Parts: sequence; structure tokens; C-alpha cells
Amino acid sequence: MAGASEPQASAFSAAELEFLAEDEMIEIVPNLRMDPLNFISGDFGPFRPQIATQVPLWLAVALKKRGKCTIRAPEWMSVDKLAQVLEAERDSEKFQHLPFHYVEIARLLFDYAREDIPDIYMVRSLIEDIKDVRFHKIGTGLEIISRERTYALRLKNLSAMEANIVRPFVTRALETFYKLSSSEMIQESDHIPNRQPQATNRGPRRQLKDR
Amino acid sequence: MKIRTMKLREAHKRDDEGESSVCSILWASNGDYIVTASSSDNSICIHTVGSPSNMPKFLRNHREGVTALALSPNSTCLASGSLDHSVKLYKFPGGDFETNITRFTLPIRAVAFNKSGTILAAAGDDEGIKLVNTIDGTIARVLKGHKGSVTSLAFDPKSEYLASLDSDGTVIYWELQSGSTVHVLKAIAPNNGIGFSVLNVLAWSPDGEMLAVPGLKNDVVMYDRDTAEKLFSLRGDHTQPICFLSWSPNGKYMATSGLDRQILIWDVDKKQDIDRQKFTECISCMAWKPHGNALAVIDFMGKYGVWESAVPLTMKSPTEDIPGLHSKNSNGFLLFDEEEEPSASGNLSDLNEDSHGEFEPPSRKRLRKRSNYDDDWEEDCNDELESIPKVGSRKKASYGHKDNLSGKSGSRHMIVTAGSKMQEAFQPGATPAQPGKRHFLCYNMLGSITTMEHDGYSHIEIDFHDTSSGPRVPAMTDYFGFTMASLNESGSVFANPCKGEKNMSTLMYRPFSSWANNSEWSMRLEGEEVRAIALGSAWVAAVTSLNFLRIFTEGGLQRYVLSLDGPVVTAAGYKDELAVVTHSSPSLPTDEQMLEFRVFNIAYGTQPLRGRLPLTPGSCLTWLGFSEEGHLSSFDSKGVLRVFTSQYGGSWLPLFSASKLKKPDENYWVAGLSASKLFCIVCKSPESFPQSTPKPVLTLLDLSFPLACSDLGADSLENEFMMNNMHLSLVQRSIEERAASGHDTTSLDDEAFNLETSLDRCILRLIASCCNGDKLVRATELVKLLSLEKSVRGAIKLVTALKLPSLAERFSSILEEKLLSETSGNTVLPDRKSNCNGSIQHDVASVKLFTAPEISQKSEGVVPSPTHTLPSTSLSSKQNGEEPCKDRHGNNIQCQTTTLGKATDLKTAVKLKADEVHSLGETKAMKVDQLHFSRPSNPFAKSASNQESSSLFDSLKKMKK
Repeated sequence: MAGASEPQASAFSAAELEFLAEDEMIEIVPNLRMDPLNFISGDFGPFRPQIATQVPLWLAVALKKRGKCTIRAPEWMSVDKLAQVLEAERDSEKFQHLPFHYVEIARLLFDYAREDIPDIYMVRSLIEDIKDVRFHKIGTGLEIISRERTYALRLKNLSAMEANIVRPFVTRALETFYKLSSSEMIQESDHIPNRQPQATNRGPRRQLKDR
Repeated sequence: MKIRTMKLREAHKRDDEGESSVCSILWASNGDYIVTASSSDNSICIHTVGSPSNMPKFLRNHREGVTALALSPNSTCLASGSLDHSVKLYKFPGGDFETNITRFTLPIRAVAFNKSGTILAAAGDDEGIKLVNTIDGTIARVLKGHKGSVTSLAFDPKSEYLASLDSDGTVIYWELQSGSTVHVLKAIAPNNGIGFSVLNVLAWSPDGEMLAVPGLKNDVVMYDRDTAEKLFSLRGDHTQPICFLSWSPNGKYMATSGLDRQILIWDVDKKQDIDRQKFTECISCMAWKPHGNALAVIDFMGKYGVWESAVPLTMKSPTEDIPGLHSKNSNGFLLFDEEEEPSASGNLSDLNEDSHGEFEPPSRKRLRKRSNYDDDWEEDCNDELESIPKVGSRKKASYGHKDNLSGKSGSRHMIVTAGSKMQEAFQPGATPAQPGKRHFLCYNMLGSITTMEHDGYSHIEIDFHDTSSGPRVPAMTDYFGFTMASLNESGSVFANPCKGEKNMSTLMYRPFSSWANNSEWSMRLEGEEVRAIALGSAWVAAVTSLNFLRIFTEGGLQRYVLSLDGPVVTAAGYKDELAVVTHSSPSLPTDEQMLEFRVFNIAYGTQPLRGRLPLTPGSCLTWLGFSEEGHLSSFDSKGVLRVFTSQYGGSWLPLFSASKLKKPDENYWVAGLSASKLFCIVCKSPESFPQSTPKPVLTLLDLSFPLACSDLGADSLENEFMMNNMHLSLVQRSIEERAASGHDTTSLDDEAFNLETSLDRCILRLIASCCNGDKLVRATELVKLLSLEKSVRGAIKLVTALKLPSLAERFSSILEEKLLSETSGNTVLPDRKSNCNGSIQHDVASVKLFTAPEISQKSEGVVPSPTHTLPSTSLSSKQNGEEPCKDRHGNNIQCQTTTLGKATDLKTAVKLKADEVHSLGETKAMKVDQLHFSRPSNPFAKSASNQESSSLFDSLKKMKK
């Protein structure tokens, strides 16, 4: 990942993003009986064997590592849904709706809950494909910035990881554009301070007179 | 009677002249192809019926003669068995060789498909009958029991039994599900010895109610499906033993061929032969045309032909009114027959003209003019209609009707479709057996017991949901074929039904942990069969086919044997309690099961509860168990959960209804329930039960009453109100029970108080919605149900805010009444602040003065001093009715201090909240006590006063701060 290779360039490293993603909720099926857990982030549980419950991903992974639960793959991680998303992603210009941390969640689940995800190979390759398609789209989309002068970019449904990768480049590019444009403005304002509207008003008149 | 002749064409050449060979013939289900084979020819011929001039297709995959043929019911797969010891599968009608599905060590004599085509049975000179899964070629089971070589196999059309016949003439009924022998009929068919020139055959009637077997007296004997009793025999003009028989597709006729070289057609219902045909050779095999009136025959010389109009045309077609095992199909068939009929009545079909048109004019026993035909048709139709109920009555309510092997319809499902039959016994939390798959013997909130059959024995696994605390139980191999199991924390119990004479019904108990070695035990039941089992704390119960309830201790001591008064449906255990459901009478014609339940307390040897078990009309019981709190609950096939409560002298409350959820594509398979939730496994329709892998996940569903749609539009509130009321009554009852047995009830008191407050909150919201909906009478009724005085004042505030002064007035008068009744209650109850009377009366007076809404504010401060709680009207009446309590001086002093303390500060309302809890508990306790008149003195008086003083002390301390 770009973020990991040059950490100083991006706001977050991949590991940091993963850490942030661990706060996402996920459904687990515990195989133990446990009273509710009271955390700063909230109360989770009670845990009863074979009854699904919602917990943050980090807790799910911690329980999973101890063999105390099975993680239920989120709905969007089914082969059907992902195939749909991939198709739509290829067809349309827009980004499809996926969880903000979909890359990280998928990664965590692939690492720790391999056996809990049905058709894991299929799911994995689909997610890779979706990721590639989206990154490619971002790449082509960014060409717009260099082609014409842009002050802001609107990228709907961009995920955390994707935003993180484009952030260093886009922010710098936009900054540069801004600097360039503002310096012109500064020059103008230096010449005619507080009289810019008049100047603009005068402009066309002069042109008329000239003609 | 005239004898007619029929020309046959040669299909299979024989290697050596003179020796006869067993030949087989089949008709594909669409009627377009005839398949023939001969034991002296290694090829199978597929003849096209429409164009006999075409060369038949030859399949020469076998190395030796083909002795047996079978077509799957949908005619897509052809199986052949051969002298070369192999069974091969072909695609049909293409005839492409697919696989050698199984091999034997000796020649094969018979193959047969089951109704769904998923299982192929093959047998021959080897000792076992192999049941082969046609999909993956695995051997599902080997049935051993025949001494001679097996010459014929027939799957029962209901897929419950397999009948087999050997060369000694012995017939064995096998139960497919368990693979055990159900009946052995020794030497009932002709003994053919070692020579395989002639085969013995047997065939189920198409409705599956009878098995036809050639008899010893040149006749055909019919045996009952379930009991294997001899029903009747078809005896007539055969002068030598019958070597082949075949039912017409509708089961009305039968064709038999004898060694006397003739074929007879019988009307089975009239037990009379109606037509015959003589041949030059013995007929080895026959097949009815699936649609239409024709019989394909093949003789021992390998010559085959088609006998058109085998059933006289004046009679009902042999394919008419095919028994409706598949209602959809039978419809289609009927339509088809009507189309087919004209051509058949035209006497000569195309095939007839082309090839074997040389019939002599058919002679009939009953000749009728063609003009009468239509009338006859109608008559026949009427007969048919009348005959349907007869068939129905012949069907016997049979046990062991578990499910068909195809596994598509489970036992639960079967029960549903069984119509007005009495529901059979089942084990709560079990799923029907499915071949090649693991299924649940028991699934409850604790864990599961699963089993899978494999090569004649089963592999049983016990898993606990809670892997951390449950004991680890090693998997076990089961040689008994257990079909019932039950599981609790301390052990598991298994039982199997009896199968045949040798395999008796066995009950086995396995404790999970025991200080002594070898503490598992088993009981064999001679002459009876276990139908249901249950497990509780240190006891095991089994209900048997003799309607005995046998209770064993954990160690295997036979403790009690009771006789129940009806066949058992199911049983469930929880701690000391055993619930048994039995049939009280045959089910009503309106499809209502008449069930009765009773609850035994094993520890005390009592039967605390007994009564009728309610069910939704047209449904049957699918689950019985206890909730986590120990309330008996039942679930029926229409998706209604009922919980037994002591309300109204013991009645069942419908607490869940699947139809109210309005999710028609979901079925709920109940595993257990708690006070407010139902634990179930959601199955997507049409599945009605879960698979054991992947491990099913429980879903929590809210319990709710099936309330009518009220004009109030606050259904959830109303439901909450009902549920809270129910919980409160349950808690109050358990408090009573605890108090009666002298246990501490404080925790329950707290729970009751919490419930009361939440109930009050709910009532207040309901009052609000009533006021908004302009249902003022209902609001007044609700106010009367409020239990805390504070809540009543809240209600008054509420209606004042809603600008309903008349209602506020009414509410305050209700409050007044309550206070008054409580005062009177207090006067007779000196241990509850009798000397606060003055202040209460003062308060009441003030209430009387200010009937206007602002009373609420005024009296707010005064309220806490007299009482903290408002007992419900019922409570106060009880208190009134009872005046045994004597004045206690010790209490008076304390109470005086309390009044003093309270007089000092009127703003203690909030701080006294904690106090409220206690005093409320007291009220409850007292109420409890008063209910139990048997207790002479009030054991709570002292503790109650202590509690109060301490709590008051607390509140005083708070005030000082």
C-alpha cells in the first residue's frame, strides 16, 4: 500500500487504519456463556452459546483467537453481494456503496476467521477485484485534476483505505492549485486594493470604448 | 372361454437352444420405449414402440447375461444387473453407459429403484441386499438376512419399506430408515431351489397397501403393508406356479404369468380373473404400459410382444385413477388418460396394426355393446368416487411412519400431511433421518446429539453449545440404531425402537461424569417398544408402546412403572418435573388432535398438573419443553407457542404466533424459550427443520400475545402491558411458592417491584394514547390498574396537561378510593404503620378538599408520609378480609419515630424511593403470607419491621446529609 510504503506522506498508516476499523461492529456466535462486558465504547453481550450478538471487530477477533466464538461474515461479504457490487462497479462511473472500512474488515476476517467465511477463495478474489477496479477508477478520475483547474474533489462512497491512498497526492495537488490561483489573486489585490469590483466594472466599458 | 394367440418377435437370441433364460422387459414412463434383456444375452435392447422397423438400440456393456433391469421413476436412468456380478447405470433413453455403480461377488438377480430414484437396491446370490445411493454411488446400507439368493426386490411406493423375496420363497420386509427387518415370512412363495430358470417375484400395489407374492397353491397372495398379514389370494385358472406378476398402474388389475404358459388378467378388487392369453412359451416378464391399456411381455425364449387392450375395453382402463401418491402427477395422468382413451377404444393402435395385428377377436367374460360404453364410463366414475373412501379406510394408522428416505419431507412435515390420523410419537428437538447426512436426535438449549448412519451402524456425537463449561463427550459408535435421545447437564439417554424379533428395543443411559467406573447402563424391553424418552435431575423416563411410563434412577435402578391411559406423543423433563403428552382419544374428523398432558414431580412422586393440551385446529404438536424458568411450553405445527401458567386455575397462554410475524417464507424450529424470548432456528421454507451442519444459529424472537388489532393503534404498548402483567403474575406466584417453602424472596421482590414500575410506566403510556384516542373509559380502567401511588399522581398530571379536567377529577377520586381502602387496610394491619392513620386521614381530607387538578401538586409533599405504596385493590380487599394480626407494641414505637422523622421533612419523597422498594416487598410478603392460611404466625412481621426500621434509618441518614 502506498500508505505503508511512505508513512510520512499519508495521514494514517495501514496498521492505523486497521486499528480504526476494529471499532466496526460485527456479528459473532459465541460458544460460551458470559455476562455483558462493560467498556467505554459501550456494553456488549450478554453472550450465550449459539446465539448471535453484535460486538466490535477487535473483540470478535480477540474471542476468535481464543476459540470462543465463530464470526459471521457480514452480509456484504457474501459471494452474491460482492459479485453484484463488482459488476456495478465495472458498469458505472460512481463508486458502489461498501462499508467505509471494507478493505480492513475483509483483511482482518481473512486473517483470523478463515473457516467462518463461506466460499472464502471466491470472496477473497472478488474483494481483490473490486479493490482493483476502484483503485483504477480513482486513478483515472484523478486525471481530471491535472486537466483542468480544480479546487475540490467530491468522491462519494470512497472507503478509508482508498481515501488514505489518494489523500497525500490530492491534497498536495489541490494545495498547489490553490497557491497558484491565490497568488494571482494576491497580485491583483496588490495592484488595486479594495477596488476590484470597480476594475471589473470598468473593464467591459473600456473594451467598448476601444472598439 | 376362447384362447387367443399372440405373435412375439425375437429380441434376444439364445446361445444354446432349448435352455430357457430369464428375460426382463420394461416400459419407459412415457410409453415410447421398451427395454428388454435376457440372462443368456449380454446386451440390453431399447426398442422404440412407435417405429418397430427401426433397429433397436443395443447396449453391450455387460460381459455376461443381463438378469435384471430397472428404470428410475422419471425414466432418465436405467440400471442393469448381470451374471457378471456388476450393476451398471445408463442414461435413458440415450443408453450411454454411466457407471458401474456397484459390484458383487456373485451374479445379480434383482435391481430396483426407489420412488424418488435416489436409491438403487441390488441383490442376487450374494448374502446381502445393497442399497446404493445413485447420486454418488455410496452404499447406504447392506441388508443381510436372506438365506437363499434374492430374486426380487420391491420398494414400497411410500418409500418406507423394501420387500425382498429369495429363491427359497422367503419374503422379508425391511424398514428403509433403520435397515432392520420388520417381518420375515418364511417359505410363503414357491421354492425354486438352485435353478435360476424361473424367478420368484413380488410387487407392491401402486398405493403401497398390499404386497403381492406368488403363493404355494398356484395363486397370488396379498399381504398387508404394515402387519404382513395375509389379506386374500387370487386363485383361478393357473395350473402351475406363478412365475411373474405385475400390477396395473392404477392397482385395479394384475397380470400374472404362470409356468402353465398363460397370462391371466385379474380384477384385484373382485378377486376374479377377467381375461387370459395363452402362449407357446412361459412368459418370463411383463410390463404394463404406463399410459394406456397394453401389456408388454417377454417369454423365456427371449421373444417379446405387446398385448394391446389387455384389460377388456368395456372395463376401466388400467391406468385410470392412479393412486394419488403425488397429487400433482395423478392429475396430469388423468388428463392424459382421457386423451388416450379414444385410441384404446378404437381397439387397434398404430403399433398393433404394424406389428402384431393378428389377434383373434377378443372374447370377454362380459360382452357389452359399444353404445353402452358411455354409460359404463359414468358408472365407473361413480364407482371410483365411492371406492376412494374405502381405500382410505383400509389405510391403517401406522407407527414408524417416519419419513421417506428421500428426506424431502421430514417427520414433522409428515405429521402435518397425515391428515386426520393420530399424530405419532416424536422426540422434541429431533430432526428426521436423512440418508448420508448427519441429523439431530436431540437439540436443546444445552447442546445437541447428532447421528449419522454408516454401513449398518451409526456414529453418534454429543456437542455442547457452551464449549468452555460443558463436559467433553467422546463420539460413540451405535450398534443399536438409536432413533431417540435426550440430553441434559449430567448425562444422555438413548433408545431405539424394536426391529424384528432379534433386535429388541433398548434404552441406554450415559452419564457424562461419574465417580464410579462403568456407570452407563442399558435396559432391554421385551415385547414393548420405547416411544419417547425424557431426562431430568437424577432420573430417566421412558414411555413405551404398552403405555407404560418407566422411571429409572440415574444409576439404573427401576424406580417406578406407571400405566398411562393413552398412546404417548412426547415427553420432556426439567429438573424434578416430567411432562408427558398422550392421546386422549382419536383425532377429530376436523383434523384436531386430542392430546392430554400431565406433569409428574419425580422427587415427590406427585402429579401436580394434568389437563388437555390445546393445539391450533388442524395442527399437531411439534415441540414440548420447559422454559428456562421451568414453565411447561408447547409449540404446534401452525407455529403457535403456548406456555402453561397458573392463571385462571391453570391455563395455556399463546405467547407466540408465527403467523403474526407475517414472514411466510420462514419456518421456526423451536429449541427453547426464556421469560420474554423464544429461541428458535429460522428455516427458510420449504425446509421445516435445520441441518446439523453448519451448526445452526439460534435466533431470538420476542414473545407476544396474538392480540387483536385494537382501535387504539398502540399494539406494541398493549402487548407490553399484557406481557408485563403475565410476568408479574408469574413472579408473584414464584414468590408465593418460595415463601410457602420458607425461602428468601428478597431478590424476587426486587424483580416484582421492577416489573411493577415498568408495568406502571407502560400503563401511563397507554393512558396517554387512550386520551389521545379519546378512549376515556379505557383510560380510567387503566388508572385503576396502576400499582404505585406516584404513578396515579403522574396520570393525573398527564390528563391535566392534556386538558381533560373531567378525567383528572375521576382519577383523583380513584386515588382517593385507593388511599381510603389502604387506610382501612392499615387499620387492621398494625404492623404496617397503624399510627399513621391520623396523618393519612388528614391527607385524605385534603384530597377531598382539593378535587381540582392542582391537588396533585399540593398533596405531593404529603404523600410519602403516610404510605409509599398503593396496594392494588385486590390486595387491599384481601387485607380487609383478613384481620388476624394483633397489635405489636414494638412496632408502634418504631412507627412513631418514622412519623416524627417524616414530619420534620416533607421533601423526602425522592429519598424514600429506596424505602419504597423494601416496603413494597413487605406488602408482597404479607400478601403471600395471608394467602397461606395454614401458617399460624406471621414469620415476616419481625423481619419486615426490621427491614423497615433499617431502611427508615437509611432515609433519615440521607436527610441529615
